[in-house]
Amino acid sequence: MLRFTAVKVGESLITFVLAAIVIFFGVRSLPGDPALAMAGEEATPERIAQIRADLGLDEPVVVQFWKFLTSIVTGDLGESTRTGQQVTEMIATTLPVTLWLAAYAILVAVVAGVLLGMLAERFRGRLPEALANFAALVGLSVPNFWLGLLAILLLAVTLGWFPASGYVDVLSDPLRGLYYLTLPAVILGTSLAAVITRQTRASMIETMGTDYVRTARAKGLSRPRILFRYGLRNSLIVLVTIIGLQLGGLISGAVVTERIFALPGLGKLTLDAVFARDYPVIQAVVLVITLAYILINLAVDLLYSVINPTIRTGAAKA
Amino acid sequence: MTAPPPSTDSTATTAPGEAGANTGAGPGAGPGAGRPAADRSGADGPVKRRRGALAVLVRTPLGLLGTVLAALAVLTALFAPWLAPHGFSQTDFAHPYQVPGTVGHPLGTDDLGRDSLSRLLFGVRASMQVGLLAVGLAVVVGVPLGLLAGYWRACDRVISRLTDVALAFPFLILAVGFVAIAGASLTSAAAALGIAQIPTMVRVVRGETLRLRDADFIRAARAMDASAWRILFAHILPNAVSAIIVQATVILPTAVIGESMLSFLGLGIQPPNPSLGIMLSDAQQYIYRAPAAAVFPGLAILLICLAFNLFGDALRDALDPGSALARTPRQERRALRQKRRQERARGTMMERDQNGDALAETGAAAKENDR
Amino acid sequence: MPGPTRRGRFGRCTAAAASLSAFAVVLSACVPLQELGPAPQREDVTEVEFGDRTPVEGGDLVMALSSEPDRLDPTTSNSLYTRYVMQTMCEKLYDIDASGGIVPMLAADMPRVSDDGLTVDIPLRTDDVRFADGTEFDADAVVTTLHRNLTDENSARVSDLGPVEEIESLDEDTVRVTFETPFAPFTAALADRAGMIMSPAALEEKGDDFGDAPVCVGAFRFAERIPQTSITVTADPNYYARDEVHLDSIEYRIMTDANIRAANIRSGDVQVADMISPQDIDALQQESGIGTLAVESLGYQGLTINLDRLPEGAEPTPLSEDPRIRRALSMAVDREALVNTVFNGWYLPACSGIAGSSPFASDASRGCPEYDPEGAEELLREAGAPVPYPIDVQVTNSQDSLRFAQALQAQLSEAGFALSIRPVEYTALLDVQDRGDFETVQLGWSGRVDPHGNLHNFHYTGGNNNYTGLDDAEVNRRLDRAASLTEVADRAAAYGEAIDRLHEINPVIYLYRQRNLTAYSEDIAGVQVYADGVVHLSRAGFVEEES
Repeated sequence: MLRFTAVKVGESLITFVLAAIVIFFGVRSLPGDPALAMAGEEATPERIAQIRADLGLDEPVVVQFWKFLTSIVTGDLGESTRTGQQVTEMIATTLPVTLWLAAYAILVAVVAGVLLGMLAERFRGRLPEALANFAALVGLSVPNFWLGLLAILLLAVTLGWFPASGYVDVLSDPLRGLYYLTLPAVILGTSLAAVITRQTRASMIETMGTDYVRTARAKGLSRPRILFRYGLRNSLIVLVTIIGLQLGGLISGAVVTERIFALPGLGKLTLDAVFARDYPVIQAVVLVITLAYILINLAVDLLYSVINPTIRTGAAKA
Repeated sequence: MTAPPPSTDSTATTAPGEAGANTGAGPGAGPGAGRPAADRSGADGPVKRRRGALAVLVRTPLGLLGTVLAALAVLTALFAPWLAPHGFSQTDFAHPYQVPGTVGHPLGTDDLGRDSLSRLLFGVRASMQVGLLAVGLAVVVGVPLGLLAGYWRACDRVISRLTDVALAFPFLILAVGFVAIAGASLTSAAAALGIAQIPTMVRVVRGETLRLRDADFIRAARAMDASAWRILFAHILPNAVSAIIVQATVILPTAVIGESMLSFLGLGIQPPNPSLGIMLSDAQQYIYRAPAAAVFPGLAILLICLAFNLFGDALRDALDPGSALARTPRQERRALRQKRRQERARGTMMERDQNGDALAETGAAAKENDR
Repeated sequence: MPGPTRRGRFGRCTAAAASLSAFAVVLSACVPLQELGPAPQREDVTEVEFGDRTPVEGGDLVMALSSEPDRLDPTTSNSLYTRYVMQTMCEKLYDIDASGGIVPMLAADMPRVSDDGLTVDIPLRTDDVRFADGTEFDADAVVTTLHRNLTDENSARVSDLGPVEEIESLDEDTVRVTFETPFAPFTAALADRAGMIMSPAALEEKGDDFGDAPVCVGAFRFAERIPQTSITVTADPNYYARDEVHLDSIEYRIMTDANIRAANIRSGDVQVADMISPQDIDALQQESGIGTLAVESLGYQGLTINLDRLPEGAEPTPLSEDPRIRRALSMAVDREALVNTVFNGWYLPACSGIAGSSPFASDASRGCPEYDPEGAEELLREAGAPVPYPIDVQVTNSQDSLRFAQALQAQLSEAGFALSIRPVEYTALLDVQDRGDFETVQLGWSGRVDPHGNLHNFHYTGGNNNYTGLDDAEVNRRLDRAASLTEVADRAAAYGEAIDRLHEINPVIYLYRQRNLTAYSEDIAGVQVYADGVVHLSRAGFVEEES
């Protein structure tokens, strides 16, 4: 177990370092000069030179990269070139929003997905299954920003049921906070719900067809009990896997959702930073997202090895 | 866009069909991600089962629908220049914002008086081009890498690490950055979306290769002193084709939606060429004045993605008649019993705890490729 | 899987689809083409007054802001949007009014300029004016601010202030500025960020970090900023005209998409939204409970042609060498038709860098070449250029500029020009423009109150914004003369002469001028938008509902 853990942690570390290198040089290969972007209409050659010096952009790339690496270790990620705020502070204010949004979206997706998936399995070969399948396919096929805009038009503007924008801190005012997040979370959760529906259905069908379930049924266990005792328990594992893998995608999805609903989250921060060539912010945010993805997958890997020891031995052989 | 694009991770960790005897494994993100992994435990011999695949494809109504719609999308894309009643960039400043059903403009006109039907047809063409180019890129780069990674452990070390890195990036940021570097055009949009899909393709092919590497017929080939390259390209690749095609039907809708997303952010195809994404984001600007204009391109995207998702599902079922989900419950139980008997006979069945919980099984499938 | 149920459903689907398409076919026979009428006459509306309605004391207003302000520091700020937020927090020595004229704000009166134009005395308000931190506002505070603007190494204001020699306080309420050479645009600069006076105590304490929590004289004071999301200000009890302020707080919420801003004003989540799309404003106007403000911008949009700044190795093109081709290009643009179609008549044709409503406008600045596609093509052939003549234009990837570019492309094709459009992301386009890596670029200028800021930088040899590389002695001479005059009428005439010369060379093909379109919810009043586009909210308030 120790060896397995060490290998996995080592791999994650290598991935992270590689990612950091890619981020640093990727950001610098973007066309457009952050100094020019900052100076905007006020650009004079002296002013641009001044800004470049301030940002340390006139130093050799190697020096800049070294500073970047040390900044990761020390946790001091510098200042936004655009607003002059501390990057760590900016992340600290925006990250919770995205986490709440993602958590809510996952909740919505899990509830909707599991229910639909179970429904599909229960009414196999009949209309509800067809509808659930179809709904899942549509959920996968619809462009999310379009869905978001339609939802704003219908549910916020026409019917006035939900706010079209705005964010209330969930901790300080849970009810209003969740109310404001509902529409974005549903939109963000749509495709995840679709994936979960399909997976739940598949895993339930698989489970319900197994020998032991048939044995259990033969022993006289009621269908609901079997459903909960075996079906759902198996689906749970699938769920954890999907969510672990989807978190990266979910944060990516949050980029557009947050933009549409003007939510003060990490996604919006990233996109705006890319457009403004705010190097310190792009670097830091992408690094944080990457790190989150790597850590989650590490956790999932380790979790599995606990659940199923064969993986561990398999890995040790490799 | 939560959805599709970042997608990929789905199959990401679990290559469908990998992990031997498992159904419903591939947790996934992208469209089609949720597709139950095919059961190919019996596919030990060089594939012969595909005979009649087409017939199976159109056997179910949804499969038929998917096939017909997908064919329709391809045909539209091919023949758009002949189908379109007007040029896609032919402006008519005197007649903008015509409603659908106007004489000469069945779907109306847009803000510059251009015929919406013509733009829609060319838009389908552009979106399909982006989709196919992205698929092409993912195949050309992803398949060889996947084969190498699956066959040689040394390559696997490097390639798997790189795909991990690639998967860890938020897809959209990657694409936005790429398009910013390369300039907005159909090709760079397709390239950005294709690149984002490479890691998934690598994982799928790697998984297939891993699975096939130890199959009897490969062992036989090896015993007959076939070179590694020959084994890879003459034996493993043909058997991995079905998984690759199925993955392609996942990538295509992902790329189509991805294109619309990039267009929404102003990074899509070069105007005046239309794409469904551009039409959609244009229409948002005057949605109160001409709401219909936002409906058709959105529907077209939905239908294309739906078509390929359905088509992909049906294809998977057709290529793997053994797959549980292609059958009625009764057929399926019968097949399952049969499968278990075979498994027991081969002794490859997975560990399962005494209570009969299949807990480990499903989860393991998701992670098995990490061996 | 093919159960009877499924097949039935599928059948119904087909039937539904069939009947829908039949419906569409029937429809297609019914609706005749609708001709787009001439654009309605659009008027500027600059403010919504309380009139006889009673303002509610208190309340929190939310404004949707189209762009993120940068540092909230008047000295170093580079973003125009910073002015929107600063308007409620940082009052200036001067302000502009509805007609684009300059009026005193923290100054008591217009500046007294000596006969030689070298000494400018600014009288300050004598009532009890205090900064938000309680510090007293006096001449020394003004001197401190202006010094900072001139000497701070990060200052973006140096060129606004011109050739200043010395700044001193004559007494508690008068500031004297001495110049090396006369500089007429100075007063206009004090009506922009250079004239925002900062609390000396706060400057002392915060130094370069002043922008984190600015302290000035204003109806509101800084409360909170959430990056990329919002900036909140709350009413300032120290404000000298506290009784004219109605709101408790204002939140500026950043929403970069025009249709999202429009959706938010419709849903009532925000009360004011700036930069409404001309596509949307007519529909918004018709909705009950929503009003709109429109004012002609001081800036312009145009096609900047690379005359002489080609990157190494690039060959000059006929377009950059032959003024006849550029003239043909200008003649080939039907500006009226373009703004009517693309912007529903909300934007205005532009043929120079001076807005039609500006006190500095003249017949020369308003004049446009006649639209003449045949003449243009003839001129093109006369110049020996290939027809169709290919032109590469790089534009920002925003909706409006892409739509405009496509309409322009269609129009120019009638006159023998083949425009190819390259959308480039804004930041990258700035870079392209700066490096001279373009044939033509379509970018706008936000505009300044004084025409100096709209013409000099762009056309003077070596000017900061001289992206065309124009080097014309006659243009330089005429621009110099216009900046040295003091009377508005004289300067207007002098700028007219400079524009005449520019119309001969056409380094920039001026195309259109925006209107700043603002939407507000009708339960508020006291909102003003003047020519600089800044939305004034410091006197805004909710109105009491009529019983």
